[in-house]
Amino acid sequence: MGAAAGITVFIMGLGITNLSDLVPWGLWITIDLSSIALSGGAFLFCAGVYLLGLEEFKPVARTAAYIGLIGYSMAMLCLVLDIGRPDRFYYGFIFWNTHSVLWEVTMCIGLYFMVLISENLSTLANWEWLANKFPRQAAWMRKTHDFAPYLAVAGLVLSMLHQSSLGAAYGVLIARPIWFRPGLAALFFVSAIVGGTALTFLALSIAGRIKPALDIGQDIVLKGTRFLGWALVVYLYLRFWDTFAMTYTPQPGRMEGLAITTGGLLSFNFWAGEILLGAIVPLVILLNKRWGAHYWLRTTALALTAGGVIAYRWDTNLIGQLIVQQPFLPDHVPFYASYSPSLVEIAAGAGIIAYGLLAFTLGVQYFRVIRPAEA
Amino acid sequence: MSSSKINRRGFIKVSIAAAAAAAASKAAGLLRNQSTALGSPSSQRQWAMVIDQSRCNGCKQCVEACRASNDIPPEIAWNKVYPSGEVNGEDTFLSVPCMHCAHAPCVSVCPVGASYYRPDGIVMMDYDRCIGCRYCLVACPYQARAFNWTTFEGENPAVPSYGEPDVPRRPRGVVEKCTFCYQKIDRGLALGLTPGVDRAATPACVTACPRKARFFGNLNDPESPVSRALAKSHSYRLREDLGTGPRVYYLPADRNGKENGS
Repeated sequence: MGAAAGITVFIMGLGITNLSDLVPWGLWITIDLSSIALSGGAFLFCAGVYLLGLEEFKPVARTAAYIGLIGYSMAMLCLVLDIGRPDRFYYGFIFWNTHSVLWEVTMCIGLYFMVLISENLSTLANWEWLANKFPRQAAWMRKTHDFAPYLAVAGLVLSMLHQSSLGAAYGVLIARPIWFRPGLAALFFVSAIVGGTALTFLALSIAGRIKPALDIGQDIVLKGTRFLGWALVVYLYLRFWDTFAMTYTPQPGRMEGLAITTGGLLSFNFWAGEILLGAIVPLVILLNKRWGAHYWLRTTALALTAGGVIAYRWDTNLIGQLIVQQPFLPDHVPFYASYSPSLVEIAAGAGIIAYGLLAFTLGVQYFRVIRPAEA
Repeated sequence: MSSSKINRRGFIKVSIAAAAAAAASKAAGLLRNQSTALGSPSSQRQWAMVIDQSRCNGCKQCVEACRASNDIPPEIAWNKVYPSGEVNGEDTFLSVPCMHCAHAPCVSVCPVGASYYRPDGIVMMDYDRCIGCRYCLVACPYQARAFNWTTFEGENPAVPSYGEPDVPRRPRGVVEKCTFCYQKIDRGLALGLTPGVDRAATPACVTACPRKARFFGNLNDPESPVSRALAKSHSYRLREDLGTGPRVYYLPADRNGKENGS
């Protein structure tokens, strides 16, 4: 159904979405941003294992890298859906505008996707069909694992660049006072670390529960989730500082933005989705020794954290677009645009998410993405 | 005025452009002939528009003429007219085309460089390069840009009562905006006309205005309609605080009182 919706969009054009000139970026961009953020575990754990030498996290890094591969492919599917001319998706690589943040993000995502493919070659070589049919190619693919440290360096550099630049893409827009602040780049980066860690351990926990053979061990999970707890503290602090110190200024547009975030349309998302359920509840659970060791509590906390990052991306994307300022007019009063995704947007978005889940389960089944002990 | 300042990047760009132009014109005889026909290199011209709010009565003839001339679908307007409050008991209006900023946010954010500056200051769209990401839509402080959500098919209701189209329609999925009617300017110059003075070489909104509230011309020419209008009255530009350096100037409705707008 998602594929059908996607094809419909390609044929009928973006006119069948609920997007408008005032709110040109909607649900798909949120899914795109979220899947990139939740793929943040890939660069984090690859760097941790291959650069910092945290060998015990090796199984985590393998899973994270595979999730990253899926996440970035999901993001690129979203982008191809979202742009008006999908047939020109590669133009960013041909026509360079080095002044554009979005160009930098495009280049980084393209290059990082190649890094992710390279990082996953050794995992993909586990596919039995491939190993039987093309043993030489499979052996060659397995060998690429020797380059893991170099790939980790490239992944770290490219990820730090584009994870933060996705925030900066909003932050550089002088036309939108609610976005025009320096905090977005830092927040996007930190929340990518939080979200990536959460999703990686969420996938590992659930897989380990369903198939005990895939359990990577309580010790390492607890270490990882404890790290996540502290990362959440940093994120929460930054989010509060960003919201109430950077945004709380009398500049026209900013106060309205703050008002709809904390008391208007987006307030449930903000207070419940981002702050309470997305950060405070999980950090309390994960940092509490007894609760953090409890499977259901821990899994819930991980899922809530990932949800919180998604809520943050949704709020950030919408907030700057909902307040339409025509400050050149005498009354200076901004008005509020509205947007709610149309059926076809939801269907295509759900299709992309379903593809991601399917790709992950197939990976667990055939590529042995989760391997507790190094074979 | 920021347009008179020369910063380093601007200087380098102009020198490179000049060097490239010189090399190109030496290489291609065709180009040399054309530049002689134009009289002076186009980098010496800086197109600008002046809109006199005291004359504008909000009739929107400019909107329709623009729509006909550029073949714009009914749901899009390159030139918009907003009511802008009362001055001395009379309604005033603000007509907003693309500002053709000297430091345009849309040009710097475009990931593929589909928005670009012409040497004469016009901010242009390359419809063959635009991928439709709509970042420029979000980045423009003046909401001067519009996206082609659907294919424009059928008749244009503004044609022929407000004029005939002289540019092709844009395909679905690209962003479009006001071009200062570059097609009229370029053709006019090739015919030896003066944009802003000769009607055939002047943007459609300017010639269509029944109250003669709009002026167009070369800012670097002190005798052009825009230079003369700006010399006579004080003027303002929209959101000058953003540092975008708009090329559209407004003469306030109340010349003696405070300015209308920021």
